[in-house]
Amino acid sequence: MNLAHYARIWLTAARYSVVRTLMFRGDFIIWALVELFWMTVNLLMISVIYQHTDSVAGWSKYEMMLLVGTSLLIQRFLMGFFWSSIFEMGRNIRTGNFDFFLAQPGNVMFMATTRKIDPDSLINSLIAAGVVVYSARQLGLHPGAADLALYGLLIGCGVIIHYSMLVLCITPAFWITSAQGIEGSYFTLSEFSRLPREAFRGVANIAFVWILPVVLVSNAPASTLLRGFDLRLVGWVLAVTVIWFSLAVFLFHRGLRRYTSASS
Amino acid sequence: MLAILNKYRAAFSVGLQSNLVYRVNFAIRGFFSFFHLIVVFILWGAAYAGNPAIGGFGFAQTFTYFVALIVVQFMIGAFNEDYQISEEIRNGLINQFLLKPVNYFAYRFSIYLSARLVTGLLILLPVLVTYPLLKDYLVLPADLWRLALGVPALLMSALIQFGIAYCFGLVSFWLLEIQGLVILSMALESVLGGQIFPLDLMPDWLFRLSQYLPYYYQMYFPVAIFTGRINDPAAALNGLVLQAGWVVIILALGQLLWRRGLRLHTAVGG
Repeated sequence: MNLAHYARIWLTAARYSVVRTLMFRGDFIIWALVELFWMTVNLLMISVIYQHTDSVAGWSKYEMMLLVGTSLLIQRFLMGFFWSSIFEMGRNIRTGNFDFFLAQPGNVMFMATTRKIDPDSLINSLIAAGVVVYSARQLGLHPGAADLALYGLLIGCGVIIHYSMLVLCITPAFWITSAQGIEGSYFTLSEFSRLPREAFRGVANIAFVWILPVVLVSNAPASTLLRGFDLRLVGWVLAVTVIWFSLAVFLFHRGLRRYTSASS
Repeated sequence: MLAILNKYRAAFSVGLQSNLVYRVNFAIRGFFSFFHLIVVFILWGAAYAGNPAIGGFGFAQTFTYFVALIVVQFMIGAFNEDYQISEEIRNGLINQFLLKPVNYFAYRFSIYLSARLVTGLLILLPVLVTYPLLKDYLVLPADLWRLALGVPALLMSALIQFGIAYCFGLVSFWLLEIQGLVILSMALESVLGGQIFPLDLMPDWLFRLSQYLPYYYQMYFPVAIFTGRINDPAAALNGLVLQAGWVVIILALGQLLWRRGLRLHTAVGG
């Protein structure tokens, strides 16, 4: 079971998803529009707030746009590569259809969470990236190749952290089969990722910056672009990535042992 | 007359029972909505730092607006009425209503009322639990005219909420899949209905324009009357007239879609 083997499996699944999308073109267009609309809603909120103030927690309008764009970018990648599979995983565990993944040639967690990709989200990641580029231009930023690589690395870490949190939101389904709607708890959390870290004080700072890394995930890449490399920040993100991913892997496999293929 | 009322009272009580089954889900949903208030509190709190007023309103006024929005949403918002109607059309359950002396709109509306009774009461739970934390940031003006105009506005908002969901549900006569369409319009509703930011903070021309759209009367209008974002009784009265106009238009559209849709309906399944 080497990397090439998994890459081949993933490519096959991806090709299947793309073919499916081509079959339902109308759906693709509608869902791409849905995501585009919601992204616009977030940007509208920022522009309305900045009509009445110049700074929110020390962030100017385009700095904030860059933050929101970064957060949207991470979310698009998560949606594009993992959301459908992980969302269906909860349902499959409840109905017993999860058996299907146990019989597949590879790690169960990999097979179950990477089966489907959503090209509509991936298309919109270009728009999110456009928001980041546009904001960076408005701010007169000229990041070098190293800055961009670091930004990419932090975005990658962000996707892994969100992936782990999403898996952790679904994993309880192994224990409590009636827990419908726990997927929604993830969305509530992701709302926090569009806020600047400096706005969090006291208990909120401990909860959403230190314990749950939702705020860190989007703030770290954005502030790297804005203020340059900060070793402590990057180290922190890398450590958090390892911790959360390990936690997700550990609990997923713990849950898997409880799986009884129960269906009705 | 009494017989007719009894018919829909039965639908109401069935709806009540089936919604009570999901009371825990609704309660959890209510508590999660309050998590959203933390985001609101942090974001707007940061925006208000150094600004005593935004758009002429203080922080507590804006925060109260967002709290009221959630409460009103659980009291009158259409949750999944459009899906339920769409499902009944697609799997043929709707056929049974065509054979019985039951008005489908009235039947659905009775169930909507029972569902909102359940969710409207359940949302009081998180309000009561968090009240000690919230009370320093809640300000409600206590004018009598707000009650006199706000209550009819709220009732008409409920009709608009349900009416729009009803129309979307009926689109299933033409389209198999309405989910994407519904979420697309939800994004529009959430902005122009004032759920993302109070509409009065928009540029003036956009705010004026929004007052002629139905979304304004879905949520923002009654909430603005109650929370003091509309302070002129004459303007509120004017709004009520426009709102009544939209109620008529949306209900008529529902009626039209129903008549036209039935002609296409092939009564599959059942």
